[in-house]
Amino acid sequence: MASEGEISLLVVVVDVNPIWWGQHAQSEPEFTLSKCLDAVMVMGNAHMAMTRTNQLAVIAAHCQDSHFLYPSKRLKGNDDTSSSRDGKYELLSVTNNLIAEEIRDIMSKTELTGNSTDTLLAGSLAKALCCILLKTVVFLLAQEIKSRILVIKAADDCALQYMNFMNVIFAAQKQNILIDACVLDSDSGLLQQACDITGGLYLKIPQKVALAQYLLWVFLPDSEQRSLLVLPPPAHVDYRAACFCHRTLIEIGYVCSVCLSIFCNFSPICTTCETAFKIQLPQMVKPKKKKPKLPA
Amino acid sequence: MHFVSFTMASLSEEVLLVVKKVRQKKQDGTLYLMAERIAWGPEGKDRFTVSHSYSDIRCQKISPDGKAKVQLQLVLHTGESTTFHFANESTSRKDWEAAKELLQQLLPKFKKKANKELEEKNKMLQEDPVLFQLYKDLVVSQVISAEEFWANRLGGINNGESAACENKQEVGISGAFLADIRPQTDGCNGLRYNLTADIIESIFRTYPAVKQKYKENVPHNLTEKEFWTRFFQSHYFHRDRISTGTQDIFSECARQDEKGLKSLVTQGVKNPMVDLLSLEDKTLDEGYGISSALPSTSHASRTVKESSNFAIIKRFNHHSAMVLAAGSRKRDVPADQASETSSTDGNSRDSDFFQPPLKKVKLQEAIEYEDLQQENRPKTVALNLKKSDRYAHGPVPLQSQQYTTSQDIINSVNYIKHEMSNYKPNLTQVLSSAAASSAIAALSPGGVLMQQVAQQAINQMVPTEIQAELKHLYVAAGELLRHFWTCFPVNTAFLEEKVTKMKSNLERFQITKLRPFQEKIQRQYLSTNLTGHLECMLQAAYSKFHIWQTRRMMRKT
Repeated sequence: MASEGEISLLVVVVDVNPIWWGQHAQSEPEFTLSKCLDAVMVMGNAHMAMTRTNQLAVIAAHCQDSHFLYPSKRLKGNDDTSSSRDGKYELLSVTNNLIAEEIRDIMSKTELTGNSTDTLLAGSLAKALCCILLKTVVFLLAQEIKSRILVIKAADDCALQYMNFMNVIFAAQKQNILIDACVLDSDSGLLQQACDITGGLYLKIPQKVALAQYLLWVFLPDSEQRSLLVLPPPAHVDYRAACFCHRTLIEIGYVCSVCLSIFCNFSPICTTCETAFKIQLPQMVKPKKKKPKLPA
Repeated sequence: MHFVSFTMASLSEEVLLVVKKVRQKKQDGTLYLMAERIAWGPEGKDRFTVSHSYSDIRCQKISPDGKAKVQLQLVLHTGESTTFHFANESTSRKDWEAAKELLQQLLPKFKKKANKELEEKNKMLQEDPVLFQLYKDLVVSQVISAEEFWANRLGGINNGESAACENKQEVGISGAFLADIRPQTDGCNGLRYNLTADIIESIFRTYPAVKQKYKENVPHNLTEKEFWTRFFQSHYFHRDRISTGTQDIFSECARQDEKGLKSLVTQGVKNPMVDLLSLEDKTLDEGYGISSALPSTSHASRTVKESSNFAIIKRFNHHSAMVLAAGSRKRDVPADQASETSSTDGNSRDSDFFQPPLKKVKLQEAIEYEDLQQENRPKTVALNLKKSDRYAHGPVPLQSQQYTTSQDIINSVNYIKHEMSNYKPNLTQVLSSAAASSAIAALSPGGVLMQQVAQQAINQMVPTEIQAELKHLYVAAGELLRHFWTCFPVNTAFLEEKVTKMKSNLERFQITKLRPFQEKIQRQYLSTNLTGHLECMLQAAYSKFHIWQTRRMMRKT
């Protein structure tokens, strides 16, 4: 359990890509975005109910932009007409209602631009980091604050966001923020790297309908408690580089010593920086630099 | 302790002292001090049973004065010690003193040759426990010899010995050395001055004139004791030094000091920024500065007290100047006249050379800062990137996109919009128990997601001693393999020899260290293959050696 006065902040980033969800909702009607959000709410409630000082934030990652579902700007000035009648902890009911309102709002405002069909995940992560930073500053004088980010990913990776993604990952690592990933559909190399670098958990769940169970079992405990539990082991991350010419993942390749661009085949002129390399021996074309060289 | 047997007849060394009736280990015998070693032989025998060369002896210890047993103990560098008991009833004291004095003179000569290398090696081993363990594993168990072990590590030691001696800091002279003499009353109207060798050395270094007098007079005219007695008696030493024309041998010293002081004053200060002459001991006498002060520089106008104060101050200044000058002179100065005419000396005879632009240099130093100047960096070539967007993609391979038609997209979006417009959280129906239990089953050990957990506890299965031993084996093997692989490509005969030797070393290592370890783990029923990788590395080395050998054979035939 967190020690007295320690604040634990959980930021959940939910991938609400309407195209992906729309497609999959048609093929799998038992697991829809509504169910997914319900599961997220259950987890959020559980997190807040564990300790009074726990904090929650939920961000929806859309393909146009990313929104804060909670805490949202609607907090103030909302006369609570829909107060729950079941005697629930006030904070939880407010949270749930806000999240529901926000997501309805966001989805109704979805516009088809046709440009991008990819989720703006890097942007959402950046927003999550900013939110954490803000809370950290606010609470800095009072108590210690521990934060983590949980990403619930649906759609595929977007290669264009690579640089931003890596920046976010390293920023999180510097700030000791864990990034966990719960992947619904296909494996994501970027998120695997993120979890490996920051020390979080990566899990691709076999059954989407049991999402709530996975969330509560694996992602609800914080990092201190995780060391005491038996959880799924970390996945093997593929850190191979992709060559610049074909974008294939390679293990042994050629690196230009001037611009450090990676190639799978030797060429006398580096196509990135146009440096000419002399071929040393006519019969044996020696590579400039090899990765693990086996002694033989 | 070397048990060397020489016959006495074949002694070609010069014997400096022979002491009869010296007991060692309860045996009577004779002690011989020779030019390069000290030896002891039992009574009536021809051989020396104990022989130590002076360079092996670290120090000697003597029994205190009051004890009945007169003993002398020699402590060697290796830590061993030998004790000699001077048992001759009548002359034991004298013998012992003579032996002690001789040893005291001889030991320092040989001390410097003491094995600095050995000390350095010991220090290195003590400081680095990993190195120490490696040494124990490899050299003590005779897998490789000590020279090979130290070959790469002691790079600078052999060259650095002379440098180390030069870099030793010289001990300066305490300014208060004269005060350390501290005369004590003897009880009957006499004074007792305590002179140690240090103080004498300080006096000689500071006042070369006194050293000169010492050389001239001792031991021809005066004994050392008499010299120092005269020294302390003379007015030269005392503070109210009035240089009268007495028959003191030190009056000349006093005159030299005066001359030196005058030359110091005329030299002035070298730093052109410092203007000493603007400082004056002015007191606001009568008139509070308004009335013109009488210049009081003539001797005649001084009172007796003033002149004695003047003398003391002059003496102090001179003493300080001499101490500073002596400290800045090199330590091992040859005892000739020429070196004593250094320019900073108060007894200088000629003035030093003059640097005209010194002031300019000092001014420039004060104005300019090195790091604010223009940097003269070497010319560099700019990096010229044509397709820099390649870096932005990173190692994400081009995956086959699932192409969706625009109609699909429109449909999906409309569907989801429709679905979410009526969204109400229904938290009581989130999870069915069937789904939950199957998820739990997947997450429990042995489930779908938990396959690798059982394999991970290897470091908990192997006891820590085995782990530590394995680490040591890796360090030792790594060291040997490093020696082996650096021999390639084999160009010289030395490398050929070394590579063959290293191969045999590796084999020896495998037999003496690796096999017992493997047997040990087998005995403990550990099924994990801990030494597989080590074997693999050794095999790679062997196969490389084999290839090299066959190639060499082929070249020769």
